Amino acid sequence: MTIIQIVLTICIALIAVYMYLRLRSTLFDLILIILFFCIGTFFVVFPETTNDIAKFVGVSKGANLLLYSAILFLFFLILKLYSRLRRVEQKFTELVRNKSLEEAEEPSEKN
Amino acid sequence: MEVLKKKYTVVVVDDCSKDNSKKQLDGIPVYYLRHRVNMGQGAALQTGIEFAKRKDAAFIVTFDADGQHDSEDIPGMLDFLEEKKLDIVFGSRFLPGAKTNVSKSRSFALNLGRYINYIVSGILLSDSFNGFRVFTKYTATKIKITENRMAHPAEFLMMVASAKLKYAEYPVNVHYSDYSKAKGLKNRDGIKILFEIFLHKIFR
Repeated sequence: MTIIQIVLTICIALIAVYMYLRLRSTLFDLILIILFFCIGTFFVVFPETTNDIAKFVGVSKGANLLLYSAILFLFFLILKLYSRLRRVEQKFTELVRNKSLEEAEEPSEKN
Repeated sequence: MEVLKKKYTVVVVDDCSKDNSKKQLDGIPVYYLRHRVNMGQGAALQTGIEFAKRKDAAFIVTFDADGQHDSEDIPGMLDFLEEKKLDIVFGSRFLPGAKTNVSKSRSFALNLGRYINYIVSGILLSDSFNGFRVFTKYTATKIKITENRMAHPAEFLMMVASAKLKYAEYPVNVHYSDYSKAKGLKNRDGIKILFEIFLHKIFR
Protein backbone atom coordinates (compact mmCIF):
# COMPACT_ATOMS: atom_id res chain seq x y z
CA MET A 1 0.00 0.00 0.00
CA THR A 2 1.20 3.48 -0.84
CA ILE A 3 0.99 6.39 1.60
CA ILE A 4 -1.91 8.03 -0.24
CA GLN A 5 -3.91 4.81 -0.01
CA ILE A 6 -3.40 4.66 3.74
CA VAL A 7 -4.34 8.32 4.16
CA LEU A 8 -7.47 7.96 2.04
CA THR A 9 -8.56 4.79 3.82
CA ILE A 10 -8.20 6.49 7.20
CA CYS A 11 -10.18 9.51 5.89
CA ILE A 12 -12.99 7.29 4.62
CA ALA A 13 -13.06 5.43 7.93
CA LEU A 14 -13.24 8.69 9.85
CA ILE A 15 -16.07 10.00 7.66
CA ALA A 16 -17.92 6.71 8.15
CA VAL A 17 -17.54 6.91 11.93
CA TYR A 18 -18.57 10.56 11.94
CA MET A 19 -21.66 9.82 9.82
CA TYR A 20 -22.55 6.94 12.09
CA LEU A 21 -22.32 9.14 15.16
CA ARG A 22 -24.39 11.85 13.49
CA LEU A 23 -27.21 9.69 12.16
CA ARG A 24 -27.25 6.40 13.97
CA SER A 25 -31.02 6.47 13.83
CA THR A 26 -31.90 3.50 11.67
CA LEU A 27 -30.45 0.26 10.49
CA PHE A 28 -30.75 1.58 6.97
CA ASP A 29 -28.31 4.39 7.74
CA LEU A 30 -25.83 1.89 9.14
CA ILE A 31 -26.04 -0.27 6.04
CA LEU A 32 -25.58 2.79 3.85
CA ILE A 33 -22.51 3.89 5.82
CA ILE A 34 -20.93 0.45 5.73
CA LEU A 35 -21.60 0.27 2.01
CA PHE A 36 -19.97 3.69 1.54
CA PHE A 37 -16.96 2.55 3.57
CA CYS A 38 -16.58 -0.74 1.68
CA ILE A 39 -16.91 0.75 -1.81
CA GLY A 40 -14.62 3.69 -0.96
CA THR A 41 -11.94 1.47 0.51
CA PHE A 42 -12.22 -0.97 -2.36
CA PHE A 43 -11.52 1.72 -4.96
CA VAL A 44 -8.64 3.10 -2.89
CA VAL A 45 -6.99 -0.30 -2.53
CA PHE A 46 -7.66 -1.39 -6.13
CA PRO A 47 -7.62 1.88 -8.13
CA GLU A 48 -7.20 0.02 -11.44
CA THR A 49 -10.77 -1.23 -11.20
CA THR A 50 -12.04 2.33 -11.79
CA ASN A 51 -10.27 2.29 -15.15
CA ASP A 52 -12.36 -0.69 -16.22
CA ILE A 53 -15.55 1.10 -15.29
CA ALA A 54 -14.34 4.24 -17.08
CA LYS A 55 -13.50 2.28 -20.22
CA PHE A 56 -16.92 0.66 -20.03
CA VAL A 57 -18.71 4.04 -20.13
CA GLY A 58 -16.23 5.49 -22.64
CA VAL A 59 -13.87 7.60 -20.55
CA SER A 60 -10.14 6.92 -20.82
CA LYS A 61 -9.16 6.97 -17.14
CA GLY A 62 -10.89 6.24 -13.85
CA ALA A 63 -9.67 9.50 -12.35
CA ASN A 64 -11.31 11.46 -15.18
CA LEU A 65 -14.58 9.65 -14.72
CA LEU A 66 -14.45 10.50 -11.03
CA LEU A 67 -13.84 14.17 -11.84
CA TYR A 68 -16.74 14.39 -14.29
CA SER A 69 -19.20 12.68 -12.01
CA ALA A 70 -18.01 14.72 -9.03
CA ILE A 71 -18.61 18.01 -10.89
CA LEU A 72 -22.07 16.89 -11.95
CA PHE A 73 -22.91 15.73 -8.45
CA LEU A 74 -21.65 18.94 -6.86
CA PHE A 75 -23.60 21.06 -9.33
CA PHE A 76 -26.73 19.09 -8.52
CA LEU A 77 -26.02 19.62 -4.82
CA ILE A 78 -25.63 23.38 -5.29
CA LEU A 79 -28.96 23.58 -7.11
CA LYS A 80 -30.67 21.57 -4.40
CA LEU A 81 -29.17 23.70 -1.66
CA TYR A 82 -30.04 26.92 -3.42
CA SER A 83 -33.66 25.99 -3.94
CA ARG A 84 -33.81 24.93 -0.30
CA LEU A 85 -32.32 28.29 0.65
CA ARG A 86 -34.96 30.11 -1.35
CA ARG A 87 -37.74 28.19 0.34
CA VAL A 88 -36.29 28.95 3.75
CA GLU A 89 -35.93 32.63 2.89
CA GLN A 90 -39.53 32.72 1.73
CA LYS A 91 -40.77 31.26 4.99
CA PHE A 92 -38.56 33.61 6.94
CA THR A 93 -39.89 36.59 4.99
CA GLU A 94 -43.44 35.43 5.70
CA LEU A 95 -42.61 35.29 9.39
CA VAL A 96 -41.09 38.76 9.55
CA ARG A 97 -43.93 40.14 7.42
CA ASN A 98 -46.66 38.70 9.61
CA LYS A 99 -44.92 40.03 12.69
CA SER A 100 -44.72 43.52 11.21
CA LEU A 101 -48.38 43.35 10.14
CA GLU A 102 -49.41 42.36 13.64
CA GLU A 103 -47.39 45.14 15.20
CA ALA A 104 -48.50 47.82 12.74
CA GLU A 105 -48.78 51.15 14.49
CA GLU A 106 -51.91 53.18 13.88
CA PRO A 107 -51.54 56.79 12.79
CA SER A 108 -51.50 59.15 15.74
CA GLU A 109 -52.34 62.80 15.39
CA LYS A 110 -50.10 64.28 18.00
CA ASN A 111 -49.36 67.64 16.43
CA MET B 1 -46.15 65.48 3.49
CA GLU B 2 -48.02 66.62 0.42
CA VAL B 3 -49.62 63.21 0.20
CA LEU B 4 -51.20 63.56 3.63
CA LYS B 5 -52.75 66.90 2.78
CA LYS B 6 -54.63 65.21 -0.02
CA LYS B 7 -56.30 62.88 2.48
CA TYR B 8 -54.61 59.72 1.33
CA THR B 9 -53.78 57.07 3.87
CA VAL B 10 -50.05 56.52 4.03
CA VAL B 11 -48.37 53.27 5.01
CA VAL B 12 -44.67 53.38 5.80
CA VAL B 13 -42.77 50.10 5.78
CA ASP B 14 -39.48 50.43 7.58
CA ASP B 15 -37.21 47.65 6.35
CA CYS B 16 -35.15 47.61 9.52
CA SER B 17 -33.40 50.87 8.69
CA LYS B 18 -30.81 52.15 11.10
CA ASP B 19 -31.38 55.87 10.60
CA ASN B 20 -34.17 56.13 13.17
CA SER B 21 -36.97 56.44 10.63
CA LYS B 22 -39.45 56.05 13.47
CA LYS B 23 -38.30 59.28 15.10
CA GLN B 24 -38.58 61.21 11.89
CA LEU B 25 -42.18 60.11 11.51
CA ASP B 26 -43.04 61.32 14.99
CA GLY B 27 -46.30 63.26 14.95
CA ILE B 28 -46.99 62.47 11.30
CA PRO B 29 -50.20 60.46 10.98
CA VAL B 30 -49.13 57.39 9.02
CA TYR B 31 -49.36 53.67 9.51
CA TYR B 32 -45.97 52.43 10.53
CA LEU B 33 -44.78 48.88 9.92
CA ARG B 34 -41.32 47.66 10.72
CA HIS B 35 -39.48 44.57 9.54
CA ARG B 36 -37.46 43.16 12.40
CA VAL B 37 -34.84 42.07 9.90
CA ASN B 38 -33.71 43.83 6.73
CA MET B 39 -35.13 41.93 3.81
CA GLY B 40 -35.05 44.22 0.81
CA GLN B 41 -37.29 46.53 -1.16
CA GLY B 42 -39.35 43.80 -2.79
CA ALA B 43 -40.21 42.33 0.61
CA ALA B 44 -41.14 45.75 2.02
CA LEU B 45 -43.34 46.45 -0.98
CA GLN B 46 -45.22 43.20 -0.50
CA THR B 47 -45.68 43.92 3.22
CA GLY B 48 -47.20 47.30 2.35
CA ILE B 49 -49.52 45.73 -0.22
CA GLU B 50 -50.49 43.03 2.26
CA PHE B 51 -51.34 45.67 4.85
CA ALA B 52 -53.39 47.68 2.37
CA LYS B 53 -55.34 44.53 1.52
CA ARG B 54 -56.09 43.93 5.18
CA LYS B 55 -57.33 47.50 5.51
CA ASP B 56 -59.53 46.83 2.49
CA ALA B 57 -58.09 49.69 0.47
CA ALA B 58 -59.91 50.28 -2.82
CA PHE B 59 -56.82 51.64 -4.54
CA ILE B 60 -53.17 51.17 -3.75
CA VAL B 61 -50.35 53.50 -4.74
CA THR B 62 -46.74 52.40 -4.44
CA PHE B 63 -44.02 54.95 -4.25
CA ASP B 64 -40.26 55.08 -3.88
CA ALA B 65 -39.46 56.56 -0.50
CA ASP B 66 -36.40 58.56 -1.51
CA GLY B 67 -38.39 61.55 -2.75
CA GLN B 68 -37.85 60.97 -6.45
CA HIS B 69 -41.58 60.77 -7.13
CA ASP B 70 -44.09 63.57 -7.07
CA SER B 71 -47.33 63.00 -5.16
CA GLU B 72 -48.93 65.56 -7.50
CA ASP B 73 -49.15 62.75 -10.03
CA ILE B 74 -51.40 60.52 -7.89
CA PRO B 75 -54.80 62.12 -8.70
CA GLY B 76 -54.08 62.04 -12.41
CA MET B 77 -53.08 58.40 -12.27
CA LEU B 78 -56.16 57.47 -10.23
CA ASP B 79 -58.48 59.26 -12.67
CA PHE B 80 -56.73 57.57 -15.57
CA LEU B 81 -57.15 54.17 -13.88
CA GLU B 82 -60.87 54.64 -13.31
CA GLU B 83 -61.58 56.30 -16.60
CA LYS B 84 -60.02 53.53 -18.65
CA LYS B 85 -61.23 50.79 -16.27
CA LEU B 86 -57.68 49.53 -15.88
CA ASP B 87 -56.33 47.15 -13.27
CA ILE B 88 -53.01 48.90 -12.91
CA VAL B 89 -51.30 52.09 -14.04
CA PHE B 90 -47.51 52.25 -14.25
CA GLY B 91 -45.75 55.57 -13.88
CA SER B 92 -43.28 56.40 -16.62
CA ARG B 93 -40.68 59.14 -16.70
CA PHE B 94 -40.12 58.66 -20.43
CA LEU B 95 -43.61 59.38 -21.73
CA PRO B 96 -44.29 62.81 -23.22
CA GLY B 97 -45.42 65.19 -20.49
CA ALA B 98 -43.10 63.87 -17.80
CA LYS B 99 -40.29 65.94 -16.39
CA THR B 100 -37.17 64.17 -15.29
CA ASN B 101 -33.50 64.89 -14.73
CA VAL B 102 -32.38 61.35 -15.41
CA SER B 103 -28.81 61.08 -16.66
CA LYS B 104 -27.78 59.73 -20.08
CA SER B 105 -26.11 56.65 -18.66
CA ARG B 106 -29.06 55.86 -16.40
CA SER B 107 -31.39 56.33 -19.34
CA PHE B 108 -29.38 53.81 -21.30
CA ALA B 109 -29.35 51.28 -18.45
CA LEU B 110 -33.10 51.65 -17.94
CA ASN B 111 -33.71 51.19 -21.62
CA LEU B 112 -31.70 47.99 -21.63
CA GLY B 113 -33.55 46.86 -18.51
CA ARG B 114 -36.97 47.35 -20.01
CA TYR B 115 -36.15 44.98 -22.85
CA ILE B 116 -34.88 42.41 -20.38
CA ASN B 117 -38.12 42.76 -18.44
CA TYR B 118 -39.97 42.41 -21.73
CA ILE B 119 -38.16 39.20 -22.57
CA VAL B 120 -38.94 37.62 -19.19
CA SER B 121 -42.49 38.93 -18.73
CA GLY B 122 -43.86 39.74 -22.17
CA ILE B 123 -44.77 43.28 -21.13
CA LEU B 124 -42.87 46.16 -22.69
CA LEU B 125 -43.08 49.37 -20.70
CA SER B 126 -41.34 52.62 -21.52
CA ASP B 127 -40.02 52.76 -17.95
CA SER B 128 -40.14 49.35 -16.35
CA PHE B 129 -38.11 50.17 -13.25
CA ASN B 130 -40.38 52.95 -12.10
CA GLY B 131 -41.65 52.24 -8.58
CA PHE B 132 -44.67 54.51 -9.00
CA ARG B 133 -47.76 52.37 -9.55
CA VAL B 134 -51.47 52.74 -8.95
CA PHE B 135 -53.65 49.65 -8.85
CA THR B 136 -56.94 48.27 -7.64
CA LYS B 137 -57.85 45.93 -4.82
CA TYR B 138 -58.36 43.18 -7.38
CA THR B 139 -54.83 43.64 -8.68
CA ALA B 140 -53.45 43.43 -5.15
CA THR B 141 -54.88 39.94 -4.79
CA LYS B 142 -52.95 38.90 -7.88
CA ILE B 143 -49.63 40.28 -6.75
CA LYS B 144 -47.34 38.30 -4.52
CA ILE B 145 -43.74 39.46 -4.65
CA THR B 146 -41.28 36.78 -3.63
CA GLU B 147 -38.13 38.42 -4.93
CA ASN B 148 -37.07 40.27 -1.82
CA ARG B 149 -34.21 42.23 -3.27
CA MET B 150 -33.83 43.68 -6.72
CA ALA B 151 -35.59 41.48 -9.24
CA HIS B 152 -39.06 42.46 -8.06
CA PRO B 153 -39.96 44.87 -10.90
CA ALA B 154 -39.52 42.01 -13.36
CA GLU B 155 -41.43 39.65 -11.10
CA PHE B 156 -44.19 42.24 -10.76
CA LEU B 157 -44.57 42.40 -14.53
CA MET B 158 -44.61 38.61 -14.77
CA MET B 159 -47.54 38.50 -12.36
CA VAL B 160 -49.38 41.27 -14.20
CA ALA B 161 -48.93 39.28 -17.39
CA SER B 162 -49.97 35.92 -15.97
CA ALA B 163 -53.07 37.41 -14.28
CA LYS B 164 -53.91 39.09 -17.62
CA LEU B 165 -54.44 42.44 -15.93
CA LYS B 166 -55.31 45.49 -17.95
CA TYR B 167 -52.46 47.95 -17.70
CA ALA B 168 -51.33 51.26 -19.12
CA GLU B 169 -48.65 53.84 -18.51
CA TYR B 170 -48.98 57.39 -17.32
CA PRO B 171 -46.33 60.12 -17.40
CA VAL B 172 -44.89 60.94 -13.97
CA ASN B 173 -42.14 63.32 -12.94
CA VAL B 174 -39.01 61.79 -11.52
CA HIS B 175 -36.58 64.04 -9.79
CA TYR B 176 -33.22 62.64 -8.77
CA SER B 177 -31.69 64.42 -5.83
CA ASP B 178 -28.25 63.68 -4.43
CA TYR B 179 -30.03 61.77 -1.69
CA SER B 180 -31.94 59.52 -4.06
CA LYS B 181 -28.83 58.99 -6.15
CA ALA B 182 -27.00 57.80 -3.07
CA LYS B 183 -29.88 55.59 -1.93
CA GLY B 184 -31.06 54.23 -5.22
CA LEU B 185 -29.78 51.66 -7.61
CA LYS B 186 -26.50 52.14 -9.36
CA ASN B 187 -26.17 51.23 -12.99
CA ARG B 188 -23.83 48.40 -12.09
CA ASP B 189 -26.62 46.82 -10.02
CA GLY B 190 -28.04 45.85 -13.38
CA ILE B 191 -25.79 42.81 -13.42
CA LYS B 192 -27.12 41.71 -10.04
CA ILE B 193 -30.69 42.26 -11.16
CA LEU B 194 -30.07 40.21 -14.27
CA PHE B 195 -28.64 37.40 -12.18
CA GLU B 196 -31.59 37.46 -9.79
CA ILE B 197 -34.09 37.40 -12.64
CA PHE B 198 -32.20 34.46 -14.12
CA LEU B 199 -32.35 32.56 -10.82
CA HIS B 200 -36.02 33.44 -10.46
CA LYS B 201 -36.76 31.90 -13.83
CA ILE B 202 -34.97 28.69 -12.89
CA PHE B 203 -36.31 28.29 -9.38
CA ARG B 204 -39.83 29.51 -9.75
